[in-house]
Amino acid sequence: MAARRQRDCRAAAATALARVIDGGEALDIPLAEALEQVEARDSGLLQQLCYGTLRHYYRLDGILGRFLDKPLKRRDTDIRMLLLIGLHQLLDLRIPDHAAISTCVEACRSLGKPWATRLVNGILRRSLREADGLTDGLTESQLLGHPDWLLSSFKESWPQHWQQLVAANNQHPPMCLRVNRQHGNRADYLERLEAAGIEAGVCELVADGIRLAQAVDVNSLPGFADGDVSVQDEAAQLAAELLDAQAGERVLDACAAPGGKACHVLERQPQLEELVAMDRDPARLARVEDNLARLQLSAALLCADAAAPPEELTPGSFDRILVDAPCSGSGVIRRHPDIKLLRRPQDLAGLADQQLEILNGLWPLLKPGGRLLYVTCSVLPAENADVVARFLATHDDADSRSIEADWGETSGDGRQLLTTVAGWDGLYYAMLEKAH
Amino acid sequence: MALLNILEFPDPRLRTVAEPVTVFDGALSKLIDDMFETMYEAPGIGLAATQVDVHKRIIVIDVSEARDEPLVFINPEVEVLDPELGEYDEGCLSVPGFYETVQRPQRVKVTANDRDGELFTMELDGLLAVCIQHEIDHLDGKLFVDYLSSLKRTRIRKKLEKQHRLRA
Repeated sequence: MAARRQRDCRAAAATALARVIDGGEALDIPLAEALEQVEARDSGLLQQLCYGTLRHYYRLDGILGRFLDKPLKRRDTDIRMLLLIGLHQLLDLRIPDHAAISTCVEACRSLGKPWATRLVNGILRRSLREADGLTDGLTESQLLGHPDWLLSSFKESWPQHWQQLVAANNQHPPMCLRVNRQHGNRADYLERLEAAGIEAGVCELVADGIRLAQAVDVNSLPGFADGDVSVQDEAAQLAAELLDAQAGERVLDACAAPGGKACHVLERQPQLEELVAMDRDPARLARVEDNLARLQLSAALLCADAAAPPEELTPGSFDRILVDAPCSGSGVIRRHPDIKLLRRPQDLAGLADQQLEILNGLWPLLKPGGRLLYVTCSVLPAENADVVARFLATHDDADSRSIEADWGETSGDGRQLLTTVAGWDGLYYAMLEKAH
Repeated sequence: MALLNILEFPDPRLRTVAEPVTVFDGALSKLIDDMFETMYEAPGIGLAATQVDVHKRIIVIDVSEARDEPLVFINPEVEVLDPELGEYDEGCLSVPGFYETVQRPQRVKVTANDRDGELFTMELDGLLAVCIQHEIDHLDGKLFVDYLSSLKRTRIRKKLEKQHRLRA
C-alpha cells in the first residue's frame, strides 16, 4: 500500500498550477487537493510555491521563454509549471541553488515524466549561468507581473498610484486580525499575542484591527477557537464601521459569505433587532454559519440571490443593507494571485451589470431614510464609481452620502482604498441613502 | 539486499492467487528483507509478495512515521472483529499516483506465521487494519481499484497504460 501523504511537494504544486493555467480553475480547490497529498510538513512550502509562482507568473514565464526553443505541448503544462516553480525557487526564494534544481528534477519522475529531467535540469542550470541578463528584453507586463489589460486599466484609472498598486499586488499580503469586542478589547488582545510570542501592532484604519508581523496558523492565536479573534483585512473591517448599525435596527448582509463582515456588524452592535445573512451559494453560506458559531453570534441565514431577493424579505423592512458585491477581486490580487491569470478584460462588463442588478434588486428592501453600503474588493472604477453612478441615474429616491475619512481616494460617489505595500487591501466603499 | 521490481496495474500477474509458504529458510528471509527495502524505497507502508511477482503468501508492513516498526505476516488469515466499515483514501504501489476512498471493516484479528514459521495473532485497527486487508487482497489477486466504479477503474487503467507506453 502506498503511503497516504507522500506526493512530492513540487510535483503537487505543478499539478495544481497546471489546473489553474490550463483548466481555468481558481487556485483554492486544486491547492486544497494538493495539500491533502503532500506530507503535512510540506504544507507551508506547497502554498508558498503555488502563490509565489502565480504572483510572479508573467515574469517567470517571460524568463522561461528565453530558454525554451519551442513551446511545451499542452499536455506537458505540468512540466512548464515545474520549470516556473524552479525559477521561482532560484530567483525569489531562499532555497540553495542545488536544492532548488534537484527538487524540480526529482519532481519530473513523480509526475511520471522522467524524460523531462534533462530539460528541467538544463534550463534551471542555464538560468544560473546566465543570471545577469535574465530579464533583458522582457516586456513591461512581464517585468511587472501583470497582464497587459490590467496594467493599462490601473494606469488609466490611477495615473498617480498605479505603480503602488502593482508593487502591492506582487507582495505577500500581511495577516490582519479583528478582535471580537464582545470578548475583549484590542489592547488586551495585543498583550495576549505578546505573551504568546506573536509580534503584532495596531491597524491604523480601524478600531478593532491588529496586523501581525508574520502570518501564523490561526490555531496558534490565543482564543481563536473560542471566538476571541478572527482573520480579516483592515480594509474589510471598515465595512461594519461605516455601516454603523444601531441598536434595534434590522440589517441585511446581502452577499454575506464567508461572513466576516456580518460577524463584525454583530460584534459591534449586539442589540440589533435582526441581522439577515444572505448568500446564493449554499456551501459558502455554511461557512457563515461556522463563523457565527465560532464567534458565538446569531443571525438569520438565507440562501438567495441578491439580484432577485425572495418574497419573504418584506420591501422597506431594513434599516441598513450591506452589499459586498461579487467583483473581479482586482483589489485583493496579492491574496489571490490567480486573479491575474483567470480574469479577462471582457469579464468586467458582465460583473458591472451583475453589480447593478444586485443594487436594483436590493434597493426596494431598504426603509425610507435607510442606508445601503456598497462594497467591492476591486480598484477598477468600472465596478465601483461607474456602477454607483449608473444606479443613482435611475433611482430618484437614492442619494449618495459622502464618506468623510482620512483614508483612501475620492472616486465618484465613494471612496477607494488602494492596495498598499505592507498595508490594506484595495476595497471600494459607497454609501447610498433612501429618501424619506 | 536488492530492490525488486513492482508490478503495476493492469499487469495480469497481479491477478495471481498466491500459494502458502511451507519452507521457512534463508531464501525466504532474504526475500522478506528485499521486500522491506523495496517498500521503504517506494515509499510505501505495505507490500505483498504478489506485487514483486513472487506468488507466495508474504506481506511486509510498516505504518510508523519513523519507519522503524517493520511487521511481517506469512500465510495471514484475517477475522473481522467489528463489521462496521471505515473509510480510507487508499493508494497502492502497483497503482502509482492514485488515491481513492475504500471501505473496509475497521477492526480485525490476524493470525499469521513470522519469518521463522512461528504462529502469532494480532488485533489491528486504524491504518494497520486497512493496510493488512489491502495486502491480503493482493495475495488473493485483488486490487483496491476493484472496489471502485468501473468508470473510475477504467480511467485509472488508461492513464497508467499511457504512462507505461511513454516509459517503454
